[in-house]
Amino acid sequence: MRLFEGEVALDERLKDFAEEHKKTLGLVSLDVPLISNLDVSVNIALIKQYHENLSADKAQALVLSYLTRYGLEDISNKRNPALSNKERFCVMLLRAAMVRDSIIVIDRPFTIIPDVKDDRFIYDALKIVDDSFKECHIFDYLWSKDRYGMITV
Amino acid sequence: MINAIVRIGTTTINVTKTFRDTLSFAFTIILKMFNKNSYNSATRQVLIHQIYFTSVQILPLFIGISIIFGTLLMGIVLQIIKNLGLAEHLGRIIMDLVVTELAPFVTVLLIALRSSSAINAEIAVMKVNKELNTLDKFNIDAVDYLFLPRVINGVLSVVLLSAFFSILVLTSGLLFSKLLFGLSLESYSNVLLSSANFYDIVISLVKCCTFGFFITLIPIRFGLHATNDLTSIPISVLNGMVDVFIAIIFIEVLSLILIFI
Repeated sequence: MRLFEGEVALDERLKDFAEEHKKTLGLVSLDVPLISNLDVSVNIALIKQYHENLSADKAQALVLSYLTRYGLEDISNKRNPALSNKERFCVMLLRAAMVRDSIIVIDRPFTIIPDVKDDRFIYDALKIVDDSFKECHIFDYLWSKDRYGMITV
Repeated sequence: MINAIVRIGTTTINVTKTFRDTLSFAFTIILKMFNKNSYNSATRQVLIHQIYFTSVQILPLFIGISIIFGTLLMGIVLQIIKNLGLAEHLGRIIMDLVVTELAPFVTVLLIALRSSSAINAEIAVMKVNKELNTLDKFNIDAVDYLFLPRVINGVLSVVLLSAFFSILVLTSGLLFSKLLFGLSLESYSNVLLSSANFYDIVISLVKCCTFGFFITLIPIRFGLHATNDLTSIPISVLNGMVDVFIAIIFIEVLSLILIFI
């Protein structure tokens, strides 16, 4: 976890980090939204289809198996505006996890899930897919430190 | 006076720059089109969806317009041919009018009205919503994933629907040729086939491909001009559609000059 004094410092470090790990970056951020005219399943499957040329059927099946882990298989045909904050976070996390040898970066997670008080939800969401990424880094503000209890600095 | 000259100069520079940028973007797309690395499961899926939205969903409207407009026009044209005593040029007039001129023009107008505006708005919305940034962050080339399938779909749709329009109108021509000239199906087919000119068909095909290419390329380019404000979306669509219309007229005039030469 990386905590920063302010927005400028965070944005600069995040930009540098993204450049360093461009090939394997799986970014979860409000600045990297889901594509609004694609279903949840297509949004996630897109990564495997584009980078690994996985057929649409296989990619969809893989996505469904991951969504089932979260108990979110019902939202596979929904689009971004129809999702709750927690659902949106899980979908963005799954999409990031689809990158091969993914280094997941969660940019200010509480801006994506403002209704969540502490990091338990984030910790649980990461734990469910921990077999599909290499590293995970959280970028947040210093003043959010108290919200993190389960994820260590 | 000086202000007027400055304005003319500025306008000329802007028009030249737009024209150059469009050609440069077109060149990028053509290069990508012939690069096999541009194609993968995701781009194929987008292409299939685009063909469905552009060529299949439009079919009821397209067939309706082709039958109503085409039949009436054929009736009028054949009546005029009869009145002027030009029956020996029947096949040539029908082929030139329908296959080379009317079919590509009506098709491109319908597709531009329906799909070009949709593509322009879609790309502009994606730009405003930072969704193009999403593609970039996940190392997905927007040209491969978004633009190329739309342009290929434009080319395929105009060519196929134009051919379909020609078939429908030529079939309706059979009805009138029987009524006005007493031609049988066999005679009518022979008249058309003997009038078919390979050069005209090539021109028609090239024209359809050029129409399809630019009525999808221009909206994409204007969609990318949208800023981060929602209000830039209608402006981008408006400017894009005006340029699409200018491009259609420009290509049509160019093809007429080529045929005339």
